[in-house]
Amino acid sequence: MGEIHKIGIPRGLMAYRDGILWREFFQQLGFECLVSPRSNKQFLEQGTARAVDETCLPFKMYLGHVMWLTDKCDAIFIPRMGGYSNREKMCTRFEALPDLAGNIFRDEQIRILTVSYDWYEKTTEEKVYLELGESLGRPRKQVKKAYAAAKKRQDTWLKTREKKQQKSLDSGRFKILLAGHPYVLHDECMGGELEEILKKLDAEVLYTDYVNRESALKKSYEFSKVMPWLISREITGASFILKKKIDGMILVSAYPCGTDSLVYDMLLRKMKELPMLNLTLDAQSGTAGLETRVESFIDIIRYQKAGGYGNQI
Amino acid sequence: MKKKAYLGIDIGSISTKGVIINEENEFLAESYLWTEGNPTEATRQVLHALREQLDGEQYQIVSAGTTGSARKLVGSLIGAQVVKNEITAHAVGTTTLHLDVRTILEIGGQDSKIICVENGVAVDYAMNTLCAAGTGAFLSSQAHRLGIQVEEFGEIALKAKKAAPIAARCTVFAESDLVQKIVAPVVFQGGVSKNAGVVHMFEEELGMPVLVDEKGHLMGAFGIAILTKEQRCEKEFSFDIADTEFKTREITCGKCANHCEIICVYRDGLLIDSWGNRCDNGAVRQQKEQMGK
Repeated sequence: MGEIHKIGIPRGLMAYRDGILWREFFQQLGFECLVSPRSNKQFLEQGTARAVDETCLPFKMYLGHVMWLTDKCDAIFIPRMGGYSNREKMCTRFEALPDLAGNIFRDEQIRILTVSYDWYEKTTEEKVYLELGESLGRPRKQVKKAYAAAKKRQDTWLKTREKKQQKSLDSGRFKILLAGHPYVLHDECMGGELEEILKKLDAEVLYTDYVNRESALKKSYEFSKVMPWLISREITGASFILKKKIDGMILVSAYPCGTDSLVYDMLLRKMKELPMLNLTLDAQSGTAGLETRVESFIDIIRYQKAGGYGNQI
Repeated sequence: MKKKAYLGIDIGSISTKGVIINEENEFLAESYLWTEGNPTEATRQVLHALREQLDGEQYQIVSAGTTGSARKLVGSLIGAQVVKNEITAHAVGTTTLHLDVRTILEIGGQDSKIICVENGVAVDYAMNTLCAAGTGAFLSSQAHRLGIQVEEFGEIALKAKKAAPIAARCTVFAESDLVQKIVAPVVFQGGVSKNAGVVHMFEEELGMPVLVDEKGHLMGAFGIAILTKEQRCEKEFSFDIADTEFKTREITCGKCANHCEIICVYRDGLLIDSWGNRCDNGAVRQQKEQMGK
């Protein structure tokens, strides 16, 4: 295999959470990075054509992104993430990601770069990325520096989002919290459409992943001591932190997400005081059904606040 | 001076409903007919029927509203002041006629919904997502298969000595969560509420009386008429709109990989509205785009 100059990063799945770290890390090591463009329907169609039916919508979308990158770079970064601790694991999809992609794109013979870790190995993010950097032939000192810089870059990015959200929270506007996996909330064809609808309805849109990660993770143990999934923890913890500061919350799930279906049901039962809508996004084109559901939900909250029908909302 | 009247149209997947009400929320005219996949034509016919019933010497329609799945399209055709989802419209209509209602069950052509009401205003709702089992369309196709008119279906069902088993996973209201939310008084509406067999089964399952309003099939149209009345944004409505030529066209935008389907609505060959584009690249130029040019 030839030398790696350009590394592709599919803009899907955990790239919406850790992508800044990945890109900065590779760039600090002197590689060129190519991130696939924002999601579109064509990516989804192409990804769907290559995926098995039962898999989830975000995974199908991810495959579309991988496909776009296949002939544009020397290697594609597809991490294998099992989680770093027992109660903070990842969904099985992430434990198999490079193998799935490698098999699906067997004919294209894509070169996959990966990290690989499991919660029982008791490793850390830093260790994992040091290994990756060294395996790419970079001296340990440079890799360490690259990781530190990448981490810093990501922290700045996270802080900016927290600040932005704080501004929204401080505004006197009507606030709706979108709860969900980052790759559902911020994908153009999933949460992006929802955001558009909410903005047209004059609502301030907040996100669970704009809440400080450490605080959310800590808070999530009030929700459940045994829930095993990291992202579900960040979602539920953030919901708990924000529940008194918002007018309503939409639990956004992409069909058919197993963790969401369990966790959201529990969340609905544990947060009865807040108006909540459980919304499952699927591959259907057209947003009319989504509009009806969201608009009805917003009407319910607004008419409640206005004291019933017959009052202007 | 003429008295004020308000028009509400509910354009569903299967049927289109229209009502005209006065200041006191009394029905002045009503119409119910099949959409037959053509909401524009169905609306035209509904408007014709309403015009015939309305005493035009006495009343003038001062505002119009639309609801139902084609609310946006028809709303833009007739220049409606209020365009709103069917859940709010149904809740408003039903709570106006039944002040103490706590649960609204609504089964239409392809939708089934439950709306929970507290103190005269909706607090929660649920509706079917992709599956249309148990809705009007399903009953209609079963009736057709058996060579029976769907209108007779309910009466025949009541004569049954034993219920015919249908695969358990297909019963829409089997979700226990929803059943728990049902509190009396219950009002059942939508086209399927006209089926006496379904009403009977609801009463038996829920163990409580289920009220079917004579005007139950018009409740969405009635609700949107009330909402448009309350909006107090008045503009004289002319029935001439029913004789205007409307065309809709669907274009697939090729400017990026999203391939958005953009709906364009033309009145007398002139573009009056368009939607469906995700970004500004797909925004249709209102003046330049004309039918056939």
